[in-house]
Amino acid sequence: MNCKQAETMVAAHADGEVDALRSYSIKQHLLGCAGCAASYQSVLELRARIRAEVPYFVASPALHARVRATVGAVRASMPPRSHPTSDRWRWLTGGVLAGCTASVFAWMLGTTVLAWRANEDFAVAAVATHVRATLSDHLIEVASSDRHTVKPWLSARLDYSPPVQDLANEGFPLIGGRLDYLERRPVATLVYRYHQHTIDVFVRPETSSAATSAARTLRGFNVAQASGPSMDWLAVSDAEPAVLSAFVQRLAREDVVQ
Amino acid sequence: MSDHTRFEELVLPHLNAAYNLARWLTRDVNDAEDVVQDACVRALKYVGSLHGGGARAWFLTIVRHAFYDWCKRNRPAEIVRDDGTAIDMAVDPAAVDPEQAFLRSAESKALADAVAALPLAYREVLILREMEELSYKEIARIADIPIGTVMSRLARARGLLQHSPLLQAAN
Repeated sequence: MNCKQAETMVAAHADGEVDALRSYSIKQHLLGCAGCAASYQSVLELRARIRAEVPYFVASPALHARVRATVGAVRASMPPRSHPTSDRWRWLTGGVLAGCTASVFAWMLGTTVLAWRANEDFAVAAVATHVRATLSDHLIEVASSDRHTVKPWLSARLDYSPPVQDLANEGFPLIGGRLDYLERRPVATLVYRYHQHTIDVFVRPETSSAATSAARTLRGFNVAQASGPSMDWLAVSDAEPAVLSAFVQRLAREDVVQ
Repeated sequence: MSDHTRFEELVLPHLNAAYNLARWLTRDVNDAEDVVQDACVRALKYVGSLHGGGARAWFLTIVRHAFYDWCKRNRPAEIVRDDGTAIDMAVDPAAVDPEQAFLRSAESKALADAVAALPLAYREVLILREMEELSYKEIARIADIPIGTVMSRLARARGLLQHSPLLQAAN
């Protein structure tokens, strides 16, 4: 990225409006360019000064009272919609509601823990598969940088069709795909190249609520995960964590033009 | 859920945000309260059409409409002045009496004065971005302008603040 390209994006970057992959390129540019780094700093400094020196005005108690009075007056001028229920029924429904809420809460907590656990198992299995594929030189079953070749090959062997994007122009050329067997079911694996690194991307047709996009390390490999609108994306590689999580978030947007 | 319950649960929690925006747009305590009051009556009327999240942005849109209607009645010149080339003026002459500004800058209120002195179109995007921390998309929707315009106005607002004569006077 050069200064001309960075110029319009520096403020947007300071406002958190730039997607992960491009913000990575901007960060790299800011490291090497004093001019753009200074204008980025000036936005942050101005923001800090505004927060410190420009007052945030708060509604006075009088205004609260005035609004409530007006709302009350409008309400009084409108006919009531429902008849008041008797106190006994109110207690009963209150109890029932509290019981339901407690059960739902317990259920949600339980499923969250289970989902997190399953997600963790999947990540471990994915790393093991990545290692096995790299060691046995069985990285790619369909070697092609053309997503129109890789996608049909995978769809023909699975009960779902993963979105396949070639991101060569963003520095991540697609080099192929393969079929893996993880957690007792077949999974599509897309293989990308980033400089000297190989990135395995495991694509599953589920949106995992436990997915986190921050990269972490499992047995020395970096793992990053993101949930897209229809798929769950998990990337395993020895590439840098920041690059990996930006990349997986980019994939998870699934905005491929078919 | 009745409209009143919806209003109390979805809209009232954002009364401070509404007041802060109205206060920075009108630059006056009483006018701001009138605008918020009007906005609340409108919000109550339309709260049935508010679905899901984004209640704050929705309410702020109404506050902004209420402000512009109020402005047309009470300060038509301000809207006219903000519409067109005159928008590039660094300091809205109606906003600040220079002498008073000088006295207040001595109390380190220079930046607040400079914000208050921004032309309306720049002031509103700046408040929505830096004080309400809304996204470009939300600001575009509230101010009814394209995202590109949000970005250019924001850049202009920041530039004006960084080079404001009010801040130079303070240094």
